[in-house]
Amino acid sequence: MNVMGRAPAFLISFVALAIGATPDLRGAETVWSGLVIAENVAQPKAVPPELTRIEGMLREFFGYNQFQVIGQSQKTLKTGQEDWLTTSKFFGLHVDARGESEGGYVLNLKLYKEKEVLLETDAKLSKRSPLVIKGPQVGSGQLLLVLMVQ
Amino acid sequence: MKTFEEKWTAWLDGQLSGRELSEFEASLPDKAAAEAEKADARKLGELLKRELSARTLTNEEFFSHQLLERIARLRSPRRRPARQAREPGSTWWTIPRLLWTGVASLAVFLVFTVLVVREKNPADESPYLTQILNARVDPVTSPNATVSIFEVKKDRITVLWTEGLQSLPADYAAK
Repeated sequence: MNVMGRAPAFLISFVALAIGATPDLRGAETVWSGLVIAENVAQPKAVPPELTRIEGMLREFFGYNQFQVIGQSQKTLKTGQEDWLTTSKFFGLHVDARGESEGGYVLNLKLYKEKEVLLETDAKLSKRSPLVIKGPQVGSGQLLLVLMVQ
Repeated sequence: MKTFEEKWTAWLDGQLSGRELSEFEASLPDKAAAEAEKADARKLGELLKRELSARTLTNEEFFSHQLLERIARLRSPRRRPARQAREPGSTWWTIPRLLWTGVASLAVFLVFTVLVVREKNPADESPYLTQILNARVDPVTSPNATVSIFEVKKDRITVLWTEGLQSLPADYAAK
């Protein structure tokens, strides 16, 4: 094959490889947020799949053997300016994304008990670094707020 | 049948013999003058042979000669590629070369684009842990509450740990 024949083939292959290797430019990441009740029970239920990734740490760090999700949301961040609400019957977690920064998204979080703000925090959430917030004691268990980029 | 000039040349060179020699010498009008001319011709031949013979080159001279010849060959227009010789007006920018240059430039551009995009993608393989920038607890409902921050580097998890929040009944665990 001559030079003229090889060049287009090379060009097409290279462009295909480059496009295939290019990640989504705006990094449309999905953030999972959950309200979790951690308890110690005699017959613990299996951990929800969303928490499998951090199950070991949750058990070790908080000392509970069961983790039940009582409310959850998934939000795809396209602009990094979205906001959403994760609710259970009595609690609400409002997440307000305030843009991208180096290595993550800046989030404003507010934990509501009905209409009352119990806790507010600003955090920079990284993709490979979930955030866990220890909330109030609920009965014999503990409310945990979990945010992670999926 | 040889002409007189041929026989004369052969006689000067000493190539006549026998009967041919005696007949030729007998035909000469002035044999003494002819002998003198023959002697002169022989001397001239010896002189030319001695002076004009190729001189033997020394090793250094031979080597220099070889190098000079090679340089001359390289500089010679005949040594240029046949295609250039056929196309004296052609430039470096032939169509195939232009095409290859374009492909190479595009490749470099794409590589750099990919690298820059990956570098700027904030959520991609971040080396950073999640950071708590600040935290506030409602002082009315939980006046003694405190907050602490832990980074579990082994699991790459950040924990905001609160203490002293108002405890709630088990009903609040409802979905």
